[in-house]
Amino acid sequence: MGNETQLVSKVFVLDKFYEYFDQIKQFCDQNGLVGLKANSANIMTILSSNIDLGAILLADNYCQSLDETMDLARQIHAIRPELPIVLRRTSISGLDDLPEKQRKLFCATYTIDDMSPLRKVIEEYIFSLYYPNALVRGISEITSSTLASQFKHLKVNAETPYIVRDRIIFGEVFSLIPLESSWCRGYMMLQTEEGAILDVLSSDELTGGESPATFRTVNNILGEVTNLIWGAFKNRFVAYDDPGSRSTTEVPIVINHQHKYISFGSGNPQLCFKYTLLNEEDGHLITIYQWFVFNLNWSPEDFQEIQTSVDDLIDSGELELF
Amino acid sequence: MAKILIVDDSSTVRDEVGGFLKKNGLEVVTAVDGTDGLNKLKAEPGIKLVVSDVNMPNMDGLTMVEKIRGELGNGTVNVIMLTTENNPSMKERGKAAGVKGWIVKPFKGESVLETFKKLSA
Repeated sequence: MGNETQLVSKVFVLDKFYEYFDQIKQFCDQNGLVGLKANSANIMTILSSNIDLGAILLADNYCQSLDETMDLARQIHAIRPELPIVLRRTSISGLDDLPEKQRKLFCATYTIDDMSPLRKVIEEYIFSLYYPNALVRGISEITSSTLASQFKHLKVNAETPYIVRDRIIFGEVFSLIPLESSWCRGYMMLQTEEGAILDVLSSDELTGGESPATFRTVNNILGEVTNLIWGAFKNRFVAYDDPGSRSTTEVPIVINHQHKYISFGSGNPQLCFKYTLLNEEDGHLITIYQWFVFNLNWSPEDFQEIQTSVDDLIDSGELELF
Repeated sequence: MAKILIVDDSSTVRDEVGGFLKKNGLEVVTAVDGTDGLNKLKAEPGIKLVVSDVNMPNMDGLTMVEKIRGELGNGTVNVIMLTTENNPSMKERGKAAGVKGWIVKPFKGESVLETFKKLSA
């Protein structure tokens, strides 16, 4: 990862005017968006497998009729209300021709000749929070090296970090740990699939070879990975004399298992990292999503990376004798 | 045989560290938190080295060390902290309680094995 860490966000593009795709793609490239296209037949399937979206771009003539397009927007809004839907208008601009009930489904409209409203939506709904480059880059480095230390036989890959508005949980097992400092207050969340970890577990390496791996093994490994990342985060980004947060405010975290949905009580977009761990010998793959949700305090202007003197530096894993 | 007590709430760490030390000929006793660590130290004779995490439920590692020296009156057992914490004030508290050394996780067995053997002899 270079010095400048460009955050991106995935948007679902539901548009059938192929002659406009170049313009939409160019807009996405210029504004840190990764556009995902879909056939109308499998929209809901794709939506269910892409749980890390930032917004939906929908053309008003995407379906056979405007009514059908509105019905599609209603279905999307019903299952993913966190995702802003931006409507591309073809013959007129704005939403004045639509009934109030339908207008509420969209956060804005744009036309292919004037995409400035779309830029505004992106700034307001997706890239509304500033994340310092050193933080984003550091999290990716810390996490990659932690995963490599815990899964020694797997190749770790970190994707470009991105912003999500989705609140859908990936996999079956996740961990949460609070992060508190004078400049941030919230949670780190790791999400993964139990089966994928069980498939690639080398029992000799991670379970001591004494018993077969079970869901408890997965829990313990994810817990320890979370602990290691948390510690490294504090050591790198939270000064030793940091006074911590003065606030004691808490908000409930709500988890709906049936819908694999988690709410931290804030509508803010969330900083997301995706890592894949590949066993190059047999092709087994573990995917881990890492979310940072600074729902209780976010003051990036006070953020600073701790500069450690080389003289004071003790490598992790090395014994410092007193 | 040299006996080492590993105190960590993470079974992954207990298995990893304990497995490594056993493979290298050391006898290992494990505890899941500071309270359990104190009990094991009282119950198991011959423990010469304690390797403990700091952040644990019920009783943290530094409090456990202070109790080993204070309540148990054990001033001879060697203690090394194995933790994600790298905070100087915590290290100072550890030093004051008689902690012998500090390792920031992750555990790299080969680099500490000889010292562990000496401290547990």
